[in-house]
Amino acid sequence: MTSPVSTGAVYDRGYRPYEGRRGGRQAATAALYRTSLRRAIGLRRPWRQKVAPAVLLAIAVIPAVINVGIGYLTRDTPAEGFEFITYREYLGVSSALLLFVALVAPDIVCPDRRQRVLPLIFARPLTGPDYALAKVGAIFTCVFAFSFLPQVVLYVGQMLVSDGALDYLTDNTAVLWQVPVAAALLALFYSVLGVAVASLSGRRMVAGATLLGITLVSSTVSGILVRADAGPEAPTDQPAALLNLLALPLRVRDLVFLGRLGEDSPLSGVEGGGAMALACYTAVVVACLAVILARYRSVEA
Amino acid sequence: MSTIVRARGLTKRYPGVTALDAVDLDLPAGSVGLVGANGAGKTTLFRLLLGLSQPDAGTVDVCGIPVADDPIGVRSQIGYMPEHDCLPLDQTAADVVATFGELGGLPVRAARQRASEVLDLVGLDEARFRPVGGFSTGMRQRTKLAQAIVADPKLVLLDEPTAGLDPSGREEMLALVDRLGSFGIAVVLATHLLDDVARVCDHVVMLDGGRLVTDAPTESLLHQTGTVTVDVGPTAVATLLAALTRRGLAVTSDDGGLLEVTITGDAELDTIRDVVADLDLPLHRLTNRLTSLDEVFVHRAPSP
Repeated sequence: MTSPVSTGAVYDRGYRPYEGRRGGRQAATAALYRTSLRRAIGLRRPWRQKVAPAVLLAIAVIPAVINVGIGYLTRDTPAEGFEFITYREYLGVSSALLLFVALVAPDIVCPDRRQRVLPLIFARPLTGPDYALAKVGAIFTCVFAFSFLPQVVLYVGQMLVSDGALDYLTDNTAVLWQVPVAAALLALFYSVLGVAVASLSGRRMVAGATLLGITLVSSTVSGILVRADAGPEAPTDQPAALLNLLALPLRVRDLVFLGRLGEDSPLSGVEGGGAMALACYTAVVVACLAVILARYRSVEA
Repeated sequence: MSTIVRARGLTKRYPGVTALDAVDLDLPAGSVGLVGANGAGKTTLFRLLLGLSQPDAGTVDVCGIPVADDPIGVRSQIGYMPEHDCLPLDQTAADVVATFGELGGLPVRAARQRASEVLDLVGLDEARFRPVGGFSTGMRQRTKLAQAIVADPKLVLLDEPTAGLDPSGREEMLALVDRLGSFGIAVVLATHLLDDVARVCDHVVMLDGGRLVTDAPTESLLHQTGTVTVDVGPTAVATLLAALTRRGLAVTSDDGGLLEVTITGDAELDTIRDVVADLDLPLHRLTNRLTSLDEVFVHRAPSP
């Protein structure tokens, strides 16, 4: 009996010209955004790279789950006005977000410079601002999602465990716009700050440490300058609180939720403190964007 | 043959140095060798073609598009393979090439499909799911070539594609570059290795110190020199040299164990044949020697 004859063959498929649809600058920017976003959340990467986004999401969602869980367990004996955490307080777990941005922003920005990928990217149909938009957009999406999704869990959970879902919905319509707006402002702040700092170095460790250092030092210096017990008697000392980069986006968050600064803010006693916080926020965002655009204006080929 | 690059008075100055000095070019759509020593202006010319740098004077059109007016449009038509390492090391070859396909304007699905095809074409089909960081120099060069052609450009700019390759890797890379023409992709190959240009390019541009030395078809530069090269193997060189000299021929020996014999007609060729036969030597090669591009470059480049 003879063995079966193999009928396999090797074909040289050669080269086929591409004749399909072809995008331009917007398509290239969107492609860079998708690639950066995938990288930020660890898709198509080893499991180690997936740890940071997974941990952040867990940290962000756990309070909502606990809050909803307590609400469910005490549904028959509801404490009047019980709130384990409010939507305002829940938005902006700054240290966790900062740590995430300090890990991820350098990871999607620094290797392009260090491994000299930038000339290759800019040989494609996109510009420096397009590159910046894609990178900032990727970080923005992550931070926004990680700020917004837990709020959705909280809102839907609270609605379901409340006595009347429709009543809860009508009683809490304001947060339907406050949460996304505040989350977007928070995400914008962290994304431009993260990308700006990361654009200054080719080394991830240096960029991450610099970002943490800048924010923590600003927070410490601000804390020293602000006399915690000063109160309204010494309002001139309070504007030093504006130096606190860690707290600055939270002041803007307060403006969105409350229409004024929170009572716990050192700026609350300062006349025009809200406007000053908003101006400071805008100045930081604009300065960061300027740094980013300057860094990618000219690229060595 | 249509013109793929047209430059007029192209000038680029950096502080203290003129990288390109009023260069006029008409590069045909084929394989063009851009030759020059380090600092000749090759990379500067590439940057100007890509619109990554603005000329101080002059104009340049690529694929009929003025670069100054529409650099984005020009980049949509060009693939670029830099000389230096430029690949994200922790990504697989498939991801890298697909990403650059998308950046070149291809839809996601088409980019992944073409990435697979071009990696197959450059001989990396089995390695495409391995991280680029683990690749050899030759494999990285192939990946760089793959990303340059994945979006099906009209023109591909190759900057020293054989740099750092061993002889077999160099042969394979040149064979790939040679095939690009048959794919309908025009090639500008920047190198200082003139042999590479002579092998795969049908047009040569020589730059020296930012000035245009030569812009001509390769064939027109490689004239017959009135000498033939004889190769009988290294052990028989001395014997044949002595015998041919005794027969009154003007013979020189080069460092590579080859003899060069001056000829004026068929009589000298007959003499060489007879002497080799009489001595029972193995005749590996008997060819007309052409001028090399090195000689052209040396003769035409202005003295420092």
